[in-house]
Amino acid sequence: MVSLSFPFGVTLFLAVIGFFAGRAKATSSVNGNFRLLQALPKAYGQTVLFSTLIPASLLLFGWAFVVRILGPDFAVLPDFVFQGLVIAIATIGAGVSYHLIKPSQRARAISERWIMGLLIAASALAIVTTIGIVLSMLSESANFFRQHSWTDFFFGAVWAPNFRGGSELSILPLLWGTLYISLISLIVAVPIGLFAAIYLSEYAGTRLRSVAKPAIEILAGIPTIVYGLFALITVGPMLRDFFAQPLGLGGSSSSVMTAGLVMGVMLIPFVSSLSDDIINAVPQAMRDGSLGLGATKSETIRQVVVPAALPGIVGAVLLAASRAIGETMIVVLGAGAAARFDLNPFEAMTTVTVKIVSQLTGDTDFASPETLVAFALGLSLFVITLGLNIVALVIVRKYREQYE
Amino acid sequence: MTDLPIKISARNVDVFYGAIHAIKSVNVEIADKMVTSFIGPSGCGKSTFLRCINRMNDTIDVCRVTGDILIDAEDIYDRRVDPVQLRAKVGMVFQKPNPFPKSIYDNVAYGPKIHGMARNKTDLDEIVEKSLRRAALWDEAKDRLQEPGTGLSGGQQQRLCIARAVATEPEVLLMDEPCSALDPIATAQIEQLIDELRSSYSVVIVTHSMAQASRVSDRTAFFHLGELVEYGDTSHIFTNPSDKRTESYITGRIG
Amino acid sequence: MTAHSTKKHGSLLVKDARTQRRNNAELRFRAYGLTAVIVGILALIVLLVSIFSNGISAFQQTKLMITLELPEAKLDQKGQRDLDVMKKVTTIGYSKVLGNGLIDQLDRLGIATDLKDKDVREILSKESAATLRDVVLADPSLIGTTVTMEFLVNGRIDGYFKGRVDRASAELDKNVKPGQLDIADALTEHGLMYTQFNLDFILAPDASDQRPEAAGLGVAILGSIYMMLVVLFVALPVGVAASIYLEEFAPKNRLTDVIEVNISNLAAVPSIVYGILGLAIFINMAQFNQSSPLVGGLVLTLMTLPRIIIPARAALKSVPPSIRDAALGVGASRMQTVFHHVLPLAAPGILTGVIIGLGQALGETAPLLLIGMVAFVREYPAAFTADAGLFGEASTALPVQVFNWTQRADPAFVERASGAIIVLLVFLLIMNALAIFLRRRYERRW
Repeated sequence: MVSLSFPFGVTLFLAVIGFFAGRAKATSSVNGNFRLLQALPKAYGQTVLFSTLIPASLLLFGWAFVVRILGPDFAVLPDFVFQGLVIAIATIGAGVSYHLIKPSQRARAISERWIMGLLIAASALAIVTTIGIVLSMLSESANFFRQHSWTDFFFGAVWAPNFRGGSELSILPLLWGTLYISLISLIVAVPIGLFAAIYLSEYAGTRLRSVAKPAIEILAGIPTIVYGLFALITVGPMLRDFFAQPLGLGGSSSSVMTAGLVMGVMLIPFVSSLSDDIINAVPQAMRDGSLGLGATKSETIRQVVVPAALPGIVGAVLLAASRAIGETMIVVLGAGAAARFDLNPFEAMTTVTVKIVSQLTGDTDFASPETLVAFALGLSLFVITLGLNIVALVIVRKYREQYE
Repeated sequence: MTDLPIKISARNVDVFYGAIHAIKSVNVEIADKMVTSFIGPSGCGKSTFLRCINRMNDTIDVCRVTGDILIDAEDIYDRRVDPVQLRAKVGMVFQKPNPFPKSIYDNVAYGPKIHGMARNKTDLDEIVEKSLRRAALWDEAKDRLQEPGTGLSGGQQQRLCIARAVATEPEVLLMDEPCSALDPIATAQIEQLIDELRSSYSVVIVTHSMAQASRVSDRTAFFHLGELVEYGDTSHIFTNPSDKRTESYITGRIG
Repeated sequence: MTAHSTKKHGSLLVKDARTQRRNNAELRFRAYGLTAVIVGILALIVLLVSIFSNGISAFQQTKLMITLELPEAKLDQKGQRDLDVMKKVTTIGYSKVLGNGLIDQLDRLGIATDLKDKDVREILSKESAATLRDVVLADPSLIGTTVTMEFLVNGRIDGYFKGRVDRASAELDKNVKPGQLDIADALTEHGLMYTQFNLDFILAPDASDQRPEAAGLGVAILGSIYMMLVVLFVALPVGVAASIYLEEFAPKNRLTDVIEVNISNLAAVPSIVYGILGLAIFINMAQFNQSSPLVGGLVLTLMTLPRIIIPARAALKSVPPSIRDAALGVGASRMQTVFHHVLPLAAPGILTGVIIGLGQALGETAPLLLIGMVAFVREYPAAFTADAGLFGEASTALPVQVFNWTQRADPAFVERASGAIIVLLVFLLIMNALAIFLRRRYERRW
């Protein structure tokens, strides 16, 4: 355990004092005649501020995080020594940079270099996050595959975790549920989203558009837990009472259909806003050309606009598919927990994400394959969605460049 | 003026874009089998008026047209007229070449297909070949019919658009500054093509180039601030304009 | 040669059959489009109606006014009012006192019933004994006096007042007896049982699954606020700094290309993956407290960062280059140009993106489940303790509370879950309204 507040407080205090002291020194070194300075007085103050704050905090927080991750055994220095070290570095930073202040110093360039360093570090965080995701899942997945055969995971047919050992943990039945639900959601969302986008951008009058567009955008802003609850308390029982039971297809309110329909509704605004952008990117000249030949509006849309926009629409559908595959709360609340291969859409089935949640919530034992399998599932999910996203982004980007 | 049959006649046409009065009480009669050019400074309404002739202005919500435009003595703004049918009869070529992102063949076949002009593939092949020949593009395009139309050069693209327009067998061909996006050589080719087209169509061309108007057209109409200032034989307009505004424009003092 | 006309088409005034067919196809196509729009709007309406009709009653709660004696013999046998001694009397003791008070009250009012005393007592919420105990322990001088207090009633009785329970369903339900409903009716007539606005739903902490009537959102709301603070204070500066670098300074090379593609991908990675990351790194490796808003906030920050960077870059890009040229032209450095001129102009756009990103983070559930925020938390988490650090105490969050309640058996929790969603939607509405206001107020077009 490394205590943070005291050394950081002292560092911050030194940095603030250093800023004012540096500014004062710069001012007094030219007797208030600022024109003799290379930069504004506050730039000199900033050089002290940054030199005090940045190296010391980097050491403090970096070391604290390393110790947290590696465990207290790795805290080779006693805490009070380490705190002293941080404060010493802050003091040295303050002292040296204060000492270096003189009118001819290019203070602005120096403080800008510190700022640039911070900006670059912030951008690098995106890379660090990705590496963190990949490494954390890889290492735990490796643990899993040491304890469980990879052939069963990838090619087995049964998902039957058993905490007394001898589990069968195959991704295939989960993947089947995932893909089945995603397919239904796309069957709902793609035509509705696409037609809604076409209607709103090509046909609707301003009055309807000003109502309908925000309404559909609201759907996009609703958290998925809300859709999940909607599936659980409204759509599920309704489908069971009006379709599944009368048709003799089962009596479960959680089902592939429930989750698929609700997820479809969730994806409508996603598909429609992406398609809207894409359709609007098709130049007006293309439409005029077709209308000028005597094509009707719908002929123009079906035979010129949509084919021209097709790559973009395909990209949008792939992005929607990736969303559907990775969606969690709707399937947790709407799809059920039974891992099975079945074609009946009114049967409860389960997905990769549902099993990640169920294996990782509650008391988890990071040594057992039944817990670790969640990381292998997560990694598979990550790879699948990453693949879809990359393909989709490349297609969409190419498509946009074509009309720029 | 010669006494060729009148193809298009406009009576008291006014066009409004919302509150803007874009065309003010224009009366004009355009003859068959002739090239008529509309000239005038930019913003004078010549393109707007051209787009009235095949009702392309219908696609703009705020645009309102009053008065009568008759083609073959039929009012094209009559409630019974379907703009779709009208546009098959009155073809249009636009300022910037706008081939569809389809093959050359499909670009030309598009119009005949939607209007149901071909009963079978042989018919369609025939129409495509005839249209491309008419647009003087056949020799360049016959070996690459399945390649995308967007791969052609600018001048070729514009001729493809002309082929596409003539494929629906229009009677009137409207051209909205068809050469403004082209280089001089491509322009010359298009102008030559326009000259050939006059034998089969009533061609109306909007141009900002007075030289072009005098080279290709039989008659010229000069528009200024939404009004039709002067209309007559091209030679007459350019040598002996009767209105002072026309004279100022062709001598380069306004515009 | 030019004698015959160019006429090839028939009269325009007669619509040919083909045009008629094509016009019909046009109408059908339009109808499909309109249907799609209507289906979308209808879905929104059904969704909202379903949530509101189920949840709005969570903001009302049925209460019972009881006048009862607090006998010293039961509550403080020693009579010394020593708190430590008094605490030895558990809620079970108070429950008896309270139950007897209710039975006495029924006798006083002449309300007859053939129910057993135990069943009469069960009209009250299991929470009410604890309520009474807290009141007495806070003010021991009440012992020996007669007090009149409001108590929560059992969830089924509450459901009776909200139309969820009726006599027919009570016959089938072993948790409620029709006789209890008769008593409830009689007490209502005396004005002692009534339904009123339920402030506790927003302020009180969660309650166990036996007492839905006492369950509140206090801890969840506080936890969500803590997390949003973490996201705001980490994601805003880091996100803006990253977008400034990428948009204004980054050289165009392979590395920045990789970063760029990477950010687009991170924005589309399923949110549950961030939960796995948080579990593996923050909980499992770094041993942070499970369920702490700090970890939740950090996980949501990582998830929100790319979703802030993308709109922030768009906002920076929309500032025309002429502004930069003008600033550079008067001798400002590139850094000064960006911080003095470009950033202020892009600020409304950036803020809008940040608020929308925060809204998404506020509604996010899946990653929080994995880092243990689904636990049952009864105590309000302190913002800072020496032990747990900043935002380190166990908490829960609004969307997770909804999930938690959906997993409980008592149907009264459906009402609570829907009510919690209404609260969540109200928060989102406020944030989005703020975003729209900012956009309208400060948006510039060049």
